[in-house]
Order: sequence, then structure tokens, then C-alpha cells
Amino acid sequence: MTINYLDKFLKIIMSPKVFSYTLIWLIILVFFGTIAQKDIGLYASQMKYFSSFYFLFLGFIPLPGGRLVLLLMTVNLFSSMFKRNLWQLKKIGIIIVHLGGLLLLAGGGLTAYFSSEGNMVIAEGESSNYVDDYHNMELAFVNNSLKDSLEYTVVDESLLYEGSRFQIFDEGPEIYIISNIKNVRIENRISPADSIYKGLLEKFVLLPKKPEPENTQNRPALIYKIQGTSNGSDGIYGLFLGQGLNDPFKINDQIFHSEYRRERTYVPFNIELIDFEKIMHPGTNVAKSFSSDVNLIENDIPRRTLIKMNEPLRHKGYTFFQASFIDDSDVETTVLATVKNYGRLFPYISSIIMSIGLLIHLLLMIPKMVRRKSK
Amino acid sequence: MNFIKTNLSFFHYIFLFASFSLSPLGAFEVQNIPVQSEGRIKPLDTFARNMLLRFYGKREIKDQNIKASDWLLDLILNPEDGRNLKVFNIRNPEVVSSLFLEWSTQHKYSFNEIINGIKNQVELIKTIDQKESQDRTPFEKQLLELSQSAIMFEELSYMKNIKLIPPALLDENAVWQSPFDFIISGITPAYHQEEILNSLQQYLAARFQKNELEMNNALLNYEKIVSDLSFSTVDVKKLKSETWMNDVNLFVKSLAFYILSFLLIGISWMAKPSFFRNISFFSLIIGFLIHGYGIVMRMYIMGRPPVSTLYESVIFVSFILLLLAVALEYFRKDGLGIFVGSVGGSILHFIGFSYAADGDTLGMLVAVLDSNFWLATHVTTITIGYGASLVAGFIGHLYLIQNISDSSNSKKLKSIFNNLFGMTLFALFFTLFGTILGGIWADQSWGRFWGWDPKENGALLIVLWQLLMIHSRLAGIAKPLLFALGMGLNNIIVALAWFGVNLLQVGLHSYGFDDGVARNLYIFIIFELSICLFLYYFPFIKSRFQSPRVL
Repeated sequence: MTINYLDKFLKIIMSPKVFSYTLIWLIILVFFGTIAQKDIGLYASQMKYFSSFYFLFLGFIPLPGGRLVLLLMTVNLFSSMFKRNLWQLKKIGIIIVHLGGLLLLAGGGLTAYFSSEGNMVIAEGESSNYVDDYHNMELAFVNNSLKDSLEYTVVDESLLYEGSRFQIFDEGPEIYIISNIKNVRIENRISPADSIYKGLLEKFVLLPKKPEPENTQNRPALIYKIQGTSNGSDGIYGLFLGQGLNDPFKINDQIFHSEYRRERTYVPFNIELIDFEKIMHPGTNVAKSFSSDVNLIENDIPRRTLIKMNEPLRHKGYTFFQASFIDDSDVETTVLATVKNYGRLFPYISSIIMSIGLLIHLLLMIPKMVRRKSK
Repeated sequence: MNFIKTNLSFFHYIFLFASFSLSPLGAFEVQNIPVQSEGRIKPLDTFARNMLLRFYGKREIKDQNIKASDWLLDLILNPEDGRNLKVFNIRNPEVVSSLFLEWSTQHKYSFNEIINGIKNQVELIKTIDQKESQDRTPFEKQLLELSQSAIMFEELSYMKNIKLIPPALLDENAVWQSPFDFIISGITPAYHQEEILNSLQQYLAARFQKNELEMNNALLNYEKIVSDLSFSTVDVKKLKSETWMNDVNLFVKSLAFYILSFLLIGISWMAKPSFFRNISFFSLIIGFLIHGYGIVMRMYIMGRPPVSTLYESVIFVSFILLLLAVALEYFRKDGLGIFVGSVGGSILHFIGFSYAADGDTLGMLVAVLDSNFWLATHVTTITIGYGASLVAGFIGHLYLIQNISDSSNSKKLKSIFNNLFGMTLFALFFTLFGTILGGIWADQSWGRFWGWDPKENGALLIVLWQLLMIHSRLAGIAKPLLFALGMGLNNIIVALAWFGVNLLQVGLHSYGFDDGVARNLYIFIIFELSICLFLYYFPFIKSRFQSPRVL
């Protein structure tokens, strides 16, 4: 009996109808997911429609998302490989093409779960060994009282929701997140602040602003409360991304300040920017090329290399691309998009496999075509 | 004697045409002198045409038969007359009245007419200038643009913004200077700069005195100096070729042959089928050759693969469409290929021209796109896919029509279906690999293979749709008629992926567009949807009406 059910299940899951329906749903998903990008932005739409197993249509109807559909499609394609009467010599080309497709889908899955990306921002003459996440933030508490070094205690984004309470040190004060603002507007206070507001918030207020569709154009901010320092540092503090001045406070007689920054991932080497160069099409504002002359420093041994548009630096599984630059002060700053992706070779291999399959299929078709012609 | 004379002049014309069309390399004319503008070295002719396009809306003053380069040179030599020439095209009555001008149905105004108005509106224009560009109303945009054009016009008249003089140190990325720069800055020109300045002066003086001989001498000098510059970006041959391309307008000629071919195939359905079909095919091939030559010339001038802008993609897709249509006709010999080629080619040419007016100015590319390898592989593959998809779409329509007009001829239906299916496979091959190659390019330059960017999604939609069609047909879910309907509707998806995604203005691929595109796209979608569905359902409706149910 159970075998019968399994057979039935397999029959359904490998049927071409399932493939057709998943395709139709994927078409609908891609269409509306693309239109939605205009309103909610590329990243949000990608998260909602494509990188999800389901999403809520009109807020309450659950519908299958991109991952589920692609998973179903992969299972369908995989199981259809076990069909009877499939493994014949004359179908070998087509089988190879579909194996290539399967590999492409598998690579997509691998990339979706095991890749990370972000930006490495380096000013000329400086070096960096960490990557800023595009979307996630973190809260760092910096201990300034140590000799010759700074001690960082970093709080992950998952703890930074409104109403969250946590302690950063055993028996230390409690941190209470009052609000987490996606995009902030900073304004002067009109009336003097209550004494509970410290530092930045004594003079300014942080007000939420409508978030931009593109996440990188937002300036996120955090308002939090410290209680239990027993030294007068208790109060409400405000922080925003890229804030210049720090508000010091004391915990256990040590001086701290906090930073709200993009989540950092450290890489096992340093990159030093020697020179950033941008060449314009003469007499225009259109860039012709950008390039960063960098030192890749590993175990104190520098290696000089040039990162150009379309010519990235690959090292230890990381790839650094010339993505952008910041040019607002006297120092030029380069922005290198950094990616670690275990699935990156899959599209290359699968497209080669698919090409081979098609070629074999065409070669196998030739005798048939010749016969038809001679008839 | 008269006969011989006419004949001679006839042959003279033929000869002239032949020498003219086969070799673009005539004498060095004033139109050919190199100017640096918008990031590249171009002939004065192109520069003047683009300037005129900006002010006047067209590349020459047709009603007075003034060529762009003549207009520019006359403006320089005789600014008083130039300022009275009505070259500013203002189509917005609000702008006209804000400049204290009388509304004219010609929409044309001279510099002297508009400049007083602009001077009176300086305060308004300043405030508009301070606004963010997305906050400006259409009126404000146009007024601002007009005031900028007026400044530009003024600068043209004393050659301030005509970068005619190569830099002292010959370097590809250096900025050229205008004659005005030398006068105002008082820099001592380098030897080659002085030579060019002298020949220019010699030419302008001779032109002012209308001394043809002296003008030619000056140009000979000019050519010699420019050719002697050991400087890779000034290529006199290229300059001449570009001027020639501007003059002959190859794509207008190929369009003419396509339309002719369409008319002839129409006639062939009424009389002498094989005779008219043959000339129609011949005409199609002539048009196709001219079309291809135009693309090759553009590649030569810009030194890059055929497709890098939307305009070029239209021209190239129509070239692929014609290539496939010619092949189809060669094998079928029944006019189907001619029909697909002439209609598709003509429509795409018209679409192309509408983009040409916006900016077929052979512009430069931003850094990430400036990669000949990927332009040649990914972009070319995907545009071949678009072309093949459109051909498949056309055959889909013809199948639906054939199904209505002559459904009893199952042999012909079957042969059309076979072509349709084969073309769909061909299209899928190119759209699929084009899309994967695009992903690989993205992986190479941005670090991700796939980012759900609108342009990527558009290409993916075409691939998915064609996969759906082919698998449904092979699995027996879709009958040939449904398959034909699906491929007919595929045209809508191609149009959305091609033009539609730019309307969203998000992501890394977005380039310029205007509201007209959105409107035309809606019209096209509604038109295709109703035509295809009508053709598909017509036989069902008809059979219902013809055989009323017996009660």
C-alpha cells in the first residue's frame, strides 16, 4: 500500500504538468515582483517575492514565494530524471541539457544560502579588513579606558528591535531599545531637553522619515536607554549611521562610547588603498573607468594589485569589485563590493554542460533530418 | 545632342551615386574637421547636427534647405544674421508667453526674440535651477533647458564651446580646447595647435569672402595637419565615414526597400504571384544589405560591438529579424518570410527612429558597460534572441490567420507550425544563453550572478514563457493552435522586457525613457492581446454561429 502511495506521489511530482504550473506561477511572481520594485525597492521586493518560501498577499492570503517555487521545480526536474523510457541514447542530448539546468538551480540554492556580500570602504592611504553589510546594522560599545587598545562589544541586529532589553556585561547596566528608525531626519530641539536625554539628544531630535526604496539611501538611527550605571550616565542616547561626534558614558568607571554602524564581517587579510583613479570621457561627466591601486596585506607581506571595473580581485574565496567611490572631501575613497559565494562556478559549469547537451542533440538529429530530406 | 547630354548626366548621376555609396571617402570637407564633444572625437557635421537637434528639434533646417554645418559656420561668420534665424523650437505655449512672445503655429523663434524674455525671467530661472530635477514641472524644465540652450547658442557664435584644437600633449583622455580658449587665456599654442588655428582662420576668411579656391586650400592644409598628428583617436577616414553616414541616412534607405518589398508582396497576392514575389524578395535583400552595411559602419565609427544603446538594440534586433526572415523565405519560397521581414523590419525601423530623435547621437558609455567583450557576447546573444522571438511571434500570428482563412489546408498549417516550433527553439537557445551570459557578466563585474533586477527579470520572463510553451507542447498539454497563440503573445513579453523595464527606473540597468514610451507600450499590449485572442477564438465563435443548435 505504502509503495502505491509513493508511486502516486512520485508520478505527480515528476509530471510535466507540475513543471508547467510552477513555470506559470514563477512567471506571475517575476512579473509582479518586478513591478513592485518601483514602490518598495529592489531589496524589499526581492526579500518578499523571490527570496521567500511564502508571502502574504493583501496581508493575509499566503502564496508561494520564489524559493518554494524554485525548490518545487528542482524536485520536479530531479525526479523526472528517473522516468521510465527516458534513458535512451537518442535522448542523451536532451538529458544532458536538463542536467545542466538542474545544476544551475542547485547552484542558485547554494548561493541563496551560503553567500554573503557587502561593501569594503577604504580611503586613500588607509587600510581595512572588514566588510560592511548592505542591509544589517549593529550596535558597538567601545571601551576607551584601556591602554593602547580599544575594546569593542558588538550587539547584533537581531537584538535591536523596539522594546528589546539586554545587558552587555554581567552585572552591568541594562540597555533598553526605545526605537529603531529605518531612515532618520535630524532636527534642532525647539525647547530645552529633559535631563534624561544625553549627548546628541540634548540638542537634537531624531525623527523618522519615509524610507527610500533603495536601502543604501537611508540613514538609520537608534534611540536607547541605559539604566543601572549608578554613576549618572543613566539616560536616553541617540545614534545614527555616520555620526561624527561620540557621546561618552561611564560603565564601572570605564569610559565608553557607542557606534551604530553597518554589520561588519572580518576578512583574514588587510587591503590598503594606495591610489584611486577615475578617468572621465574627456569633457563630460561620464566616467570611462575607475580603478583602485591596492596592497593586499597578508601576514605583513603586501602584494600590489589593481582592481578595475570588470576586473575584480579574487582572494581566499572573497571577490572584490570596483563598485563605487566617494569623492566629497580632499581624500578619495573607494567602495569595493565584496562577495563570498560558494556557488559562483555553477552557472559557468552548467552553461557549458547545457551547450554540450544541445550540441549532442543536434548531432543526433542530423541523420533523422537527412532521412526526412531524402524521402 | 540633347539626348546624349541627358544620358551623360544620367550616367554621371549613376557614377556619382556609385562612387558616393561605395566609398564614403571623398575629399576632406569642412564637415569632416574633428571636434571633441561628449567624450569623443567627431566630425564637425555630427557636432552641428546634434546642436541643431537640441535647438531646432531636427538635424537640418529643411524648409530653408540649410545644412547643420552651414548653419553653424554662418552663425560664426555672421552672428547678426544667425541670431535672427528662427532656430529655437518652442512647443509649450506657457514657455512662449513667459518670454513675452507671440504664440506662433510654426513654433520657431530666433535667438534675438527669446533672449529679452530670458533676461526678464532670470530670477525665475535661477529658482528653477536650484530645485531638484525631479521637482521641476514640465514648464520649468523646458524654460531652464531653453535658457541653457540660449547660452550654448551664444557660445557657439564665438566658438567658445567648439573644442576644435587637440591638446598640446597628445593624450587620448585629455580635453581639447576651443579657439576661444586660446584668445582668452593667451597661452602660446603648440606647433600643431597653431597650424590648426591658422588653417581654421584661413578657411573662415576664405568662406567669408566666398573664395572657393582658398577654402579648398585651407581644408587641404587642415587635413594634412590632422593626418600628421601621431594621435590614435583622430582618424580622418572615420571622420569622413561618419559625415557620409550622416548624409546618406542608410536606415532610411533600408526602410524604403522594406516598404517597397511589402507593397510588392501585396501585389503578388493579387497578380503574377511568382514574378512579384521574386522582385519583392530582391527588394527585401537590398534593404537588408543596406541595413547591415549601416550597422557595420556604426561599429567601425564607434569601435565597439553593434549593440550598446536602446536605439542600437532596435536596429540590430530588426537586422536579426530580417536575417531570419530571409532564411525563412529562402527555404519556403511562399512569401511568408518576406511578409515577416518587411512588416517586422519596417515597424522596428519606425520604433528605432523615434529613439533616434531622442538621442541617437553616438554617445559614450558609462564605465561598467564599456567592455567590448561582454557587449559582443551577452548583448549580442540576447538581442539575437529578441529578434528570433519576434520572428516566432510573427509566425504565430500567421498561423492563427492561416487557421481562419484556410483551415482545410492542413499540410500548410503543419509546415507553418514546424517553422514556428523551430524558430521558438532557436529563440529559446539565444534568450537562455544570453540571459546566462548576462548573469556571468554581472558575476564578473558586480559579484552576483542574479539579483532580480528588472532587466534580468524581463529577460527571465521571455525564457520562462518560451520554456512553458515548448514543454506544454511536448507534453501534449498545448495543441498547435494554443502554442501559436502563446508565441503570438510572446511579443508582448519581449516588448515588456525590452522597453517596459526601463519605465520602472530601478536597478543597475535603467537608462533614459519618456512618457510616450509607456503610452505606446500600453497601446501595443492591448492591440496584440486583442488581435491574438480574436484570431484564436474566431473559429470557435464562427462555428457556433454557422451551426445553430437544433432544438
